[in-house]
Amino acid sequence: MLQTTHKAEIDDILSRYPVRRSALLPLLYLAQREQGYITESAMQEIAGILKLTPPQVYETATFYTMLNLKPVGRFHIQVCKSLMCALVGSDTLIGWIGRKLGIKPGETTADKLFTLSAVECLAACGTAPMMQINDDYYERLTEDKLDRILADLRQTGASALKTGPFMWPEPNGTRQ
Amino acid sequence: MPDPTTETVRLTIDGTTVAVPKGTLVIEAARRMGVMIPHFCYHPKLKPDANCRMCLVEVEKMPKLQTACSTPVAEGMAVRTATTVVDDAHKSVLEFILANHPLDCPVCDQGGKCDLQDFSHQYTPTTSRFTETKRIFQKEYFSPLIETQMNRCVQCLRCVRYCDEIMDVKALAPVGRGTMTEIKHFAAHQLDCEFCGGCIQICPVGAITSRLSMYEYRPWMLKRADTICTFCGDGCRITVQTKGNELIEVNSAHGAGRNNGDLCARGFFGFHATSHPDRLTHPLIRRNGALVEATWEDALEYVAEQATRLKLAHGPDAFGGLISSRCTNEDLYVFQKFMRLVIGTNRIDSSARYGQVNGVQALRRVQGTHRWTIAFEDIVTADALLLVGTNITETSPITGLKVKEAVKKRQATLVTMETLQPAVDTLSNIVNLAAQHFPTHPTQFGNTVIGLIKAVIAHNLVDATIAQQAPAFVQRLTATLQASSWEALESATGQTRSQWTETAQTLAAAKRLVILVGNGVLRQPGGQGTTTNLLDLLILLGKLDQPGCGLGPLAEENNDQGAVEMGAVAEFFPGPAPLNDQVVRERIAAVWREELPRTPGASLTNMLAAANKSTIKMLFVVGENPVGTLPAAAQAKEALAKLELLVCQELFLTETAAMAHVVLPACSYMEKNGTFTNSEGHVQAVRQAIDPVGDSRPDWEMFSALSVLMGSPLEYGDAREILKEIRSVIPGYGLLGPTPTPPKVDHTTLTRYLTEGFAADVTARYALTPPSRRGDNQFTLMFVQTLFHSGKLSTRSKGLLQLQQEGFLSINPEDATRLGLTDGGQVRISNARGTVTTTVKVRERVPVGVLWFPEHFDGEAKQLADWTIDPQTQIPYFKLAHVSLAKVS
Amino acid sequence: MANYEPILLKNMLQPGYTGSLADYERAGGYQALRKVLGKVSPSDVTAVVMKSGLRGRGGAGFPTGVKWGFLPKDYQGPRYLCCNADESEPGTFKDRQLIERDPHQLIEGILIACYAIGAASAYIYIRGEFVLGAKILEQAIGEARAAGYVGKNILGSNSTIDVWVHRGAGAYICGEETALLESLEGKRGLPRVKPPFPATHGLYDKPTVVNNVETLANLPHIMTRGAEWFASIGSPPKSTGTRVFCVSGHVARPGNYEVPMGITFRELIYEQAGGMRSDKKLKAFIPGGASAPFLTPDHLDVKLDFESVAQAGSMLGSGGVTVMEEGTDMVWAALRLMEFFYHESCGKCSPCREGSSWLVQIMRRIVNKRGQMSDLETLTDLCKNIAGRTVCAFGDAEVSPIMSTLKHWRHEYVTLIHAAETANLIRPEPAGAKH
Ligand SMILES: Cc1cc2nc3c(=O)[nH]c(=O)nc-3n(C[C@H](O)[C@H](O)[C@H](O)COP(=O)(O)O)c2cc1C
Ligand code: SF4
Ligand code: FES
Repeated sequence: MLQTTHKAEIDDILSRYPVRRSALLPLLYLAQREQGYITESAMQEIAGILKLTPPQVYETATFYTMLNLKPVGRFHIQVCKSLMCALVGSDTLIGWIGRKLGIKPGETTADKLFTLSAVECLAACGTAPMMQINDDYYERLTEDKLDRILADLRQTGASALKTGPFMWPEPNGTRQ
Repeated sequence: MPDPTTETVRLTIDGTTVAVPKGTLVIEAARRMGVMIPHFCYHPKLKPDANCRMCLVEVEKMPKLQTACSTPVAEGMAVRTATTVVDDAHKSVLEFILANHPLDCPVCDQGGKCDLQDFSHQYTPTTSRFTETKRIFQKEYFSPLIETQMNRCVQCLRCVRYCDEIMDVKALAPVGRGTMTEIKHFAAHQLDCEFCGGCIQICPVGAITSRLSMYEYRPWMLKRADTICTFCGDGCRITVQTKGNELIEVNSAHGAGRNNGDLCARGFFGFHATSHPDRLTHPLIRRNGALVEATWEDALEYVAEQATRLKLAHGPDAFGGLISSRCTNEDLYVFQKFMRLVIGTNRIDSSARYGQVNGVQALRRVQGTHRWTIAFEDIVTADALLLVGTNITETSPITGLKVKEAVKKRQATLVTMETLQPAVDTLSNIVNLAAQHFPTHPTQFGNTVIGLIKAVIAHNLVDATIAQQAPAFVQRLTATLQASSWEALESATGQTRSQWTETAQTLAAAKRLVILVGNGVLRQPGGQGTTTNLLDLLILLGKLDQPGCGLGPLAEENNDQGAVEMGAVAEFFPGPAPLNDQVVRERIAAVWREELPRTPGASLTNMLAAANKSTIKMLFVVGENPVGTLPAAAQAKEALAKLELLVCQELFLTETAAMAHVVLPACSYMEKNGTFTNSEGHVQAVRQAIDPVGDSRPDWEMFSALSVLMGSPLEYGDAREILKEIRSVIPGYGLLGPTPTPPKVDHTTLTRYLTEGFAADVTARYALTPPSRRGDNQFTLMFVQTLFHSGKLSTRSKGLLQLQQEGFLSINPEDATRLGLTDGGQVRISNARGTVTTTVKVRERVPVGVLWFPEHFDGEAKQLADWTIDPQTQIPYFKLAHVSLAKVS
Repeated sequence: MANYEPILLKNMLQPGYTGSLADYERAGGYQALRKVLGKVSPSDVTAVVMKSGLRGRGGAGFPTGVKWGFLPKDYQGPRYLCCNADESEPGTFKDRQLIERDPHQLIEGILIACYAIGAASAYIYIRGEFVLGAKILEQAIGEARAAGYVGKNILGSNSTIDVWVHRGAGAYICGEETALLESLEGKRGLPRVKPPFPATHGLYDKPTVVNNVETLANLPHIMTRGAEWFASIGSPPKSTGTRVFCVSGHVARPGNYEVPMGITFRELIYEQAGGMRSDKKLKAFIPGGASAPFLTPDHLDVKLDFESVAQAGSMLGSGGVTVMEEGTDMVWAALRLMEFFYHESCGKCSPCREGSSWLVQIMRRIVNKRGQMSDLETLTDLCKNIAGRTVCAFGDAEVSPIMSTLKHWRHEYVTLIHAAETANLIRPEPAGAKH
């Protein structure tokens, strides 16, 4: 139960809005953070907290692409395939990932480590091709960089190649 | 909804000038002049959503086409609905809507009454440019009574919006987005909701249909009859659709009847009850201890002979008559006339006795009318509403919708005194809409109302005029209320003084105040007193006779009000007029050309007692089943066993009918004509939809036939002739037109009440009811109505049985946890009267310490109920029990 | 290459600037707020913004001061400011930089706007994917709250303004202001029918202003340096100030460039962004995000201001400039954008919902060499039937890639269709085929 494990956080979220239902997306995120995806019982519990019916929670949850109603791999790789990225190689990137991990967009590796999705624009068009893995952006990708990122994730669960606070071009003209 | 009192706006539509109220939508303005702008998502009941984009029109000075459904009229606006541009737009939008549609009209239940078909017929070419792959949804099981075929959905969201805006149920979810949006319930779960059928009715295409009639018909095969539903006192207009003599479907057209086309599960899905295979089809006579089939002639002759014999031997008061208030006014009228004129006794009663009489008596006494001084329209336009003991969603769902409309659409302030906790679940909960809620123990309604009246007086909220005109009344109430301290009130009810105060202020500030009283008050001891006190409240606030203000007791049976007005109760002649009303007695005698009996009437309980003592020898029972519905403490079975003649007019062989000497098969409401009078006093036509089942006959016909055989013929050609006679006895009856003007408060009666009438029982009425003390494991068990059933008929409906088919015990989660009970587990309920084992359902809306059991599946459980008879009114109360619980492992 | 004075990017261009409160204050941050709070009346703040000529940077370019002026004057009860940080328009990535590199600039702008419109709460609706941005904002708001810039009795001025970050969850449409409000209310992000406008019936049905990140980030500078100063930059009188243009695609140095409005595309692409990435020539460009119709090399000398781009048949939109080189398949490019719009159509309006799926299917057929000549007419028709017939501007946006590529590169469609004919491939697709 989220209410027993995250009481303070839930109260804090609720305190931000004059109307309870506004806390719906934050609470769905909380549920997703806990279990990797949003379970039915979480939706039911959230409905209870917000005094909504479960269908009201469900209709909202299914509208947004970032909310997973089914389990995904530990690393959810989302490659932007919109035009701007496609112009400079996002399809190639998807190809690389597919070859390295043996999965196509929409699939998860057998070890449940990686899920690959091809998604629409993630607002990194100037640093394409790019991908987002869980919370982090990885930009200006090359095959070599991709290898390093995947290796990092496998080994330590994180990679230093992720983007920090974003600015492009960098002020001093340096390029990654 | 435009308010007719607001200013009007003039505009032109296709060159013709029209004046409509400000705020009217263009689509409505056009409709008024006969211009139909095509639309899918628009529905007059719903807030505009303008999602289908079908209703585009040209509005002068606007660069783009506008949606007529969401554009309000403006002074001088020029709208064009029939230009090429508009026509092209309509065609193109329709082309989009049809693109992904499966075009499976031949197998669609909506075929022939489908907006999409109609508009396509009007606009589109027979070929489609769409040659791509169509969207396909996986077929999923949706629910026991409602079927979805999402490929046909045009995504207008009317169903979803109806479920939210009108019903407040919020059971439907548009799931996913874009073209792949589909209407579902929750995840993979099947629909669980109020099953009002509203989504089926409001869907413009065949995406949501009824499983009860799936694939059974094409609309043009159906015959229609507009009649009135019998499942509660709301009196909804239904259209019964039949094929041959088979009941296929029931629905209700938008704008029709007091319900404006809305229905509840009972009305929409309950119609099969009357075609149950167990229906009685032939008269039965007891021969050698067994009931055997007989001809009508034999059966009627037998009854006439025996009745004549008994009357000669024991006199007319050895007879009694009991009738169900589900009968038509015509049945009720002929019944009481037969009893009074042919037999010569006033010993008659009906099921209105159980509660309705309480409400009617209070109204008569205080305001001199036996009817509501308000109508449904006044509920909708009220500023403040007070609901007392109603659980209105489950008992009077459509009156409940009026309350919801007032609160949700018009921001009325709702105050509830209910044995209900605010909770969100699959049924809507009126308390969720309340601005102020008094969670009330079932024995504490009287006290909670007293607290409110005390607050009105304590905070000087008494209307100045009343204080001036009826000082004695105000002073006496003030003094009487002093006897009950705030502390005593607070401790008995668990309410707080500050909440009473706040509510008193809210109600005093409202210009239009409506009070609705339900079963929780009317069917409990002290019900008449509490209802009278609520009228006192209206008087004190100076609102009793103000426009839009009034008190409405909610009838339980569809014709409770009619039964009282037809004089089918112990204390009234038709009118209703008390038995000692000389004027009415003479008026009726003049019509009947016969003296009316002078002996006193006898209520249900009197009659049972008299039968037990063998002072009553013969009983006519019409549609009532005292053996089956009353607890053993009522001794109905023993009493009836002693009768020399028991005649039952029935649809089914009930427990009572099984004891009868003669059983006469009666027609159901589907098979006869006549009128019903609903809660608010609206008299409405009942029309025959199918031929009588078997040899069954309308109840009045049987009395008519008997009267002939007994030598005092009451002959009528048809129900209309009876209504004509009713009108000569009750002037103007049933002529009230489509929207009745409710009667006004009679000021002579009111003045009499305020000067002296009130004093007779004021101390008793304002005496505190002691709280029921709870022992360790003491629960108050309530036998309640449920949304899916409302009586003996509903439990024979295959549709409703799919929604609920047995009794179960509803309990609050806290109590359940304490006792280790979980959903579906078994529990033993016991008290000194007995022990019953049943299934548990944990529901947040049930208060702690209280249990609910559906009264129409009460079976053995009803034996646990307290059985009390009000010494004054003779009303039996048997809807509460004090019990302890134990888990069955 | 001409050098322009950066305004919004100025701080972050300083070496070592971290965006912390200390850094921001050192660079003169929160001075505008101090100058305004309790000292300049809210209506005067609005007047200054009106006079500056600042227009919305979110896409529609509506004058900001005028928008604020629509709020009911005498309304008692809460009002809200929503900062639109949904940045989902393909080709646009400026708000992300403004947020992550200089969050306090935005927060100060939000506070000034709240003060001007009388809002005690502001919600920053940030697209869900910007996890880092949301974190940075939360942190910065925390710092600002601790320093007394946010919360009760700000700087002793009696003003109370709270700022909250609200994360979206993946839906382009939630950048549309009324869909944003619905989403913020915990609902599906479907645009509302207008009128009523957010100015009177916005968040929770209360008067509300929705402004883009970049729009709001301009406010501290306008309040510090004055309306006249701002109005003199760019292409007055209608397009004042700078804009951060996001250049992407086949250029040598893609990225964010802040320049005064009114310079030409040629200058932006060839001087700021370093020209084409190879020796292939420029074939096409999108001037203002995916919703803006494509332009051709003939339009390189069009000025980057609202009016000029509109005159050229496109729009300045969100400031996302995407450049395509010779060899880019324009039908394919339009299809890619169409796929985006199909994926993102919320489904409310029939023409957009059904139209986007239909258009995508036709476009896929053409690109896969299964098109036929009549498809071109159908495409044109469908586009016309969608545009202007929907609740929000998404409908107009989704048809612009196809309409404009059909206009400028019709021959490429025709070539693909001819290829289909020669391959004798014209046949309906097998039912249920996956593309
Ligand atoms: C489909 C659609 C998507 C939009 N997306 C965004 C967006 O991501 N960010 C944004 O600031 N404005 C977006 N807008 C514009 C907003 O509706 C709104 O005009 C803007 O936030 C107002 O702020 P401004 O006046 O400061 O520009 C979008 C509009 C539409 C129709
Ligand atoms: S199911 Fe019917 S009412 Fe509901 S959205 Fe679809 S077409 Fe409209
Ligand atoms: S009826 Fe007007 S948009 Fe649907």
